[in-house]
Amino acid sequence: MRSGLAEALARADLALARSGVWWNAAERAAIVRETAAAAHCPLCARRRAAPIPQAVEGEHLSATDLPTAAIEAIHRIATDSGRLSRAWYRRTIESGLAEEAYVELVSVVALATARATFARALDRPLAEIRPADSREPSRRRPAGAKSGLGWMPMLAPEDVAPEDPPLYMTGNRIGGNVHRALSLVPEAMMQFWDVFEELYLPQAAMRDFGREYRAIDHAQIEMLAARVAVLNACEY
Amino acid sequence: MRADGAAGVSAERELIAFADAAVGRRADLAARRDAVRAVLGEEATLDAAAVIAGFDAITRVADATGIPLEAPKAEATADWRAALGIDSFRSAKV
Repeated sequence: MRSGLAEALARADLALARSGVWWNAAERAAIVRETAAAAHCPLCARRRAAPIPQAVEGEHLSATDLPTAAIEAIHRIATDSGRLSRAWYRRTIESGLAEEAYVELVSVVALATARATFARALDRPLAEIRPADSREPSRRRPAGAKSGLGWMPMLAPEDVAPEDPPLYMTGNRIGGNVHRALSLVPEAMMQFWDVFEELYLPQAAMRDFGREYRAIDHAQIEMLAARVAVLNACEY
Repeated sequence: MRADGAAGVSAERELIAFADAAVGRRADLAARRDAVRAVLGEEATLDAAAVIAGFDAITRVADATGIPLEAPKAEATADWRAALGIDSFRSAKV
């Protein structure tokens, strides 16, 4: 395996094991376990098969003692993300999950999904994420975050303050909407993109068609990306 | 896209089948992985798995945060998004 990919996967494991900004290390490890458990949840299976998922009531088959709102968010994001809606998001937040905690949860579910899918695709073992510290989350929210783009406030490049992490400077990220998606928790955004850019391509390589950066070419990469987006019914 | 429905990408049939099996947790995943490995080699199989894993993740970020497609991208891709049925993904949300 190329060294950059191996190092990124190792960083993902370390990031998942450490305390975040809104969840502590034990809770983040629990989110990873719950993400895996969602694949075997009968309620999620029934909802996936239903025309209107929220019309199917029941309880998730949970693997952790995370709050009910977090378990609902993890299971839906892990198993049926293409049919999430603003109304579902509002219900989830109103049922007791802070917006910032939700955003960090999304980043943890996404990283957990990436490492699990990679391992499954290659039939490789997947190490359990164990809490690596007992640090309390700082619960710091960037002051410049504003509502209007997605379902929750986001931090635009022009609103990043000196005290904020350099979430767009790192990797020369252009601040497209998908970059901004997790920006309410800049550390969560940076952890996700640090790994994603190694799984896919860094910003500067995406449209550098004069050179190939991976063992598959740009066309093969974009075809795979589009296929997975369709499989997950991702409109973006 | 060619008249036979293929995109003209090298090893596209093997790569698409690999993605379908990996994301769909299908029983034929090992065979689909071996097919990619036979055509493209070990390093390409690793990088294909990496792209599949990355987009299995980032689609969840996009869909769980409600970000819209940027207007210039939406305009530039309107025709083929309609042709591929991608527009129906958003309308399917309730």
